[in-house]
Amino acid sequence: MKDIILKVNGRKYNLRIDESMTLLKVLREELELTGTKEGCGEGECGACTVLMDGKAVNSCLVLACEAEGHDITTIEGLADGELLSDIQEAFIEHQAFQCGFCTPGMIMTIKGFLDENPNPTEDEIEEAIAGNLCRCTGYKPIVAAVKDLVERRGNDGYNR
Amino acid sequence: MDLKYVGKDIPRVDAYEKVTGTTKYMSDLSFDGMLWGKVLRSIHPHALIKSIDTSKAKALPGVEAVVTWEDVPGLNGFGIAIQDQPVLCKDKVRYAGDAVAAVAAVSKEIAEEAALLIEVEYEVLPVVDDPIRAIEPDSPKVHESGNILLHTEIRKGDIDKGFDEADLIIENTYYASRQEHAFLETEDGIALIEEDGTLTVYAGSHYPHRDQLQLSRCLNMPVEKIRVVSSPVGGAFGGKDELTIQPIMALLALKTGKPVKMVMPREESIISYWKRHPMIMIYRTGVKRDGTLVANDVKVYADTGAYASLGGPILNLALESSCGLYRIPHVHIDGYSVYTNNGISGAFRGFGVPQVTFAMESQMDIIAEKLGLDPIEFRRKNILKKGEVAPIGHHITTDVESEAVLDAMEGSRLWRERERYRGTDKNRPWIKRGVGLALSWQGMGLGVGLPDFGDAVIEMDPDGGFIVRVGCVEIGQGAMTVYAQVAAEALRFPIERIRVVIGDTRNAPDAGPTTASRAAYVGGKAIFLAAEEMNEKIKGYASGMLSVSPDEIEIDDGSAYVKTAKDKRVSYEEISSYAIERGGLPVAEGHFDLPTADKAIEGAFGLPHHIYSCCGQIAAVEVNTLTGQARVTDGAVVVDAGTVINQGGLEGQSEGGFVMGTGYALTEDLIIENGVVKTPNFSTYIIPTSKDMPSSIETIPVTNYESTGPFGAKGIGEIGMVPTAPAVTNAIYDAADIRVFKIPATGERIYELLKQKKGENK
Ligand code: FES
Ligand code: FES
Repeated sequence: MKDIILKVNGRKYNLRIDESMTLLKVLREELELTGTKEGCGEGECGACTVLMDGKAVNSCLVLACEAEGHDITTIEGLADGELLSDIQEAFIEHQAFQCGFCTPGMIMTIKGFLDENPNPTEDEIEEAIAGNLCRCTGYKPIVAAVKDLVERRGNDGYNR
Repeated sequence: MDLKYVGKDIPRVDAYEKVTGTTKYMSDLSFDGMLWGKVLRSIHPHALIKSIDTSKAKALPGVEAVVTWEDVPGLNGFGIAIQDQPVLCKDKVRYAGDAVAAVAAVSKEIAEEAALLIEVEYEVLPVVDDPIRAIEPDSPKVHESGNILLHTEIRKGDIDKGFDEADLIIENTYYASRQEHAFLETEDGIALIEEDGTLTVYAGSHYPHRDQLQLSRCLNMPVEKIRVVSSPVGGAFGGKDELTIQPIMALLALKTGKPVKMVMPREESIISYWKRHPMIMIYRTGVKRDGTLVANDVKVYADTGAYASLGGPILNLALESSCGLYRIPHVHIDGYSVYTNNGISGAFRGFGVPQVTFAMESQMDIIAEKLGLDPIEFRRKNILKKGEVAPIGHHITTDVESEAVLDAMEGSRLWRERERYRGTDKNRPWIKRGVGLALSWQGMGLGVGLPDFGDAVIEMDPDGGFIVRVGCVEIGQGAMTVYAQVAAEALRFPIERIRVVIGDTRNAPDAGPTTASRAAYVGGKAIFLAAEEMNEKIKGYASGMLSVSPDEIEIDDGSAYVKTAKDKRVSYEEISSYAIERGGLPVAEGHFDLPTADKAIEGAFGLPHHIYSCCGQIAAVEVNTLTGQARVTDGAVVVDAGTVINQGGLEGQSEGGFVMGTGYALTEDLIIENGVVKTPNFSTYIIPTSKDMPSSIETIPVTNYESTGPFGAKGIGEIGMVPTAPAVTNAIYDAADIRVFKIPATGERIYELLKQKKGENK
């Protein structure tokens, strides 16, 4: 057992956890932040994606202890109260989800990616989400949502 | 009729929750004092159980219960059609993954450790892994009753005469792989005992009311004492139609009196649960020189794995569609669904039809080429229309927009401009390009002789809004949104103030399974009927309030008014207060029986269907002749959809189906060798990623009003992936001159075919 302090969505949590616990498990089971999903537990599907210091990581492959001292952002930390982020809005507009199980991980991957590369080509978008499996949508509306978003951000210089 | 909600671009009603991660899937639930469950499964594909010793597991600190077959209070068997699958095996295991015992413990880790402490002594039996060999009389038996789950034979005309008339006869054998659903949410959930003794089971599935019935049989509990909540689901595609973890979680909850949660690890999910039936299909097709089809002889062997589930109905639906949507006078169809020790096969989007469509539409492509006919012209010449006799001998009495679909395929951008997509890439001469197409049809609903209905309830709430209750589930297809749209349209009421409650046996009436493309159609129709009744009730109240007769009342946008004096009106808020004073808020019910055929096909249970949907697809592919890799670059999907209720939803089903179909065509192969799964994760079982997505998929709905459906709609959930594989393999032929008889057409297989081809040309 180990005592750690995790910073998630700007909030600090004091936790006593087993050292072998993954960040995913701590988020879902200890902090009850169930927006982050488990699709495989092995780094193969991206459903568990969160941001660590702004970079997308598979939280099933990160030990909670290793996440100490880093800023973790989950899907729950993306909207500003009732105000959705523009990525979330683009997802709604383009029906970029069906069952929605891949959606939180997908959105976090896109968030991390666009923060780093605000002006991606279509190929770069496809490459960026290649580690996030979606079995429902066929990816088309997801890529369309991101393209549209990039264009709009470019037009009104708006970035949230 | 002027429509305000149906056919309009309405955002999904579950959108906010889904993009903020606040949707609570069954795997997200937790309760105080919750235990974790773990299943011990057989590692042997076929063995007798000699003994089970749970003492060590029980003694492990933190373990609260260990259950075996002895703890099953009712029928130790489940299955939608035939209940031959044990909840927990007693004396025999029939596949590697069969459940033998289960543990509930205070943590997941302890439960896992305890499961390994259960000692099972097996006597290993020979493995039955080849469906053709399995039906020979001397094969080892998976079940006492023999290895044939179902044999269906259908004859029409005189097959020998048909072949005598033929100028060309094409005979080939096709193989379709075992496909994994690969929904992102595995089989997860929680079971618990409520204070009043009710067992509540939360687990994603297609049909909570049937889960309830099956659980009641296994647990020997009245259905009223069981509540099942099975929506929303993180993807299902047929794979959560049959029971999965529900009965085992329930046993553990009953035994411990505590909530028990189970989450299937991905690998265990892939090994242990349902798959698309692999099929071996032997086709002999006869045609006249002018392109008239005269005979088709079809033999199908479907590998149903260890237990029945829906293996019988899947075989029959496949056979119904096995000759395509064509007029063929002489037909012989002979199909077997066979037990083996190869895992378990069950429902999967398309329900047997993608397999036979691959075979038939490959035959069509081969024949068209041999006769020098345009593939669309050739199909048009033989296409079956309303009023004609289908290959299995019944008359098609409803609209199936076969010709309109062919016309739309011909008019699609991809087909018109196909020359642009064909030929050798100038800069990369090893890349060969081609375009192919395929057509499919599929019966909607459950078929003749099976109860097929839906109920819906609409209640006015105290604020003058509405609650709509339907037992179907949200598996991602957008059912809730479609229901809200239909209700808003039929009630002529703002959609924002309609709340849809689905997928819960306590809070929503039985509307049948969310399968067979029927949820929007049946559930939507039941809502429509309930809304009509509700409107009458509202007119009744308004007439009392406004002192005019009910037929003088008109309703619109949340108020009721006198037709001839529009300023005499009452709002629904006022109506609800008025109704409460007079004894209660109005409730209306709708019941819809899905129309079925009036005559059954002898010897083919469930056949024929009555309403059909039709879908044509075109694929453009690139084949890398150095590596054998094929890639789908563009697609077109034409679907006979009736009225489109939600354009985004339709495109979602068509694009999602098309991409899933390309996976089926090119990479997806759940390999089982000697009864053991060789590809139990996403690094060995390859589904499409964003990089495999075609650069365009054009969706073209053929919108003929389906008179029986809600606002003229028809189901489209399944058919979206049915013709994809043959469209892709026909395109591979067009590109590289190699014929694929076995899907998936992996790089390795294509490479081999290219090598053979070279050898032949030398
Ligand atoms: S759950 Fe982490 S990658 Fe799949
Ligand atoms: S929306 Fe279902 S997996 Fe992506």
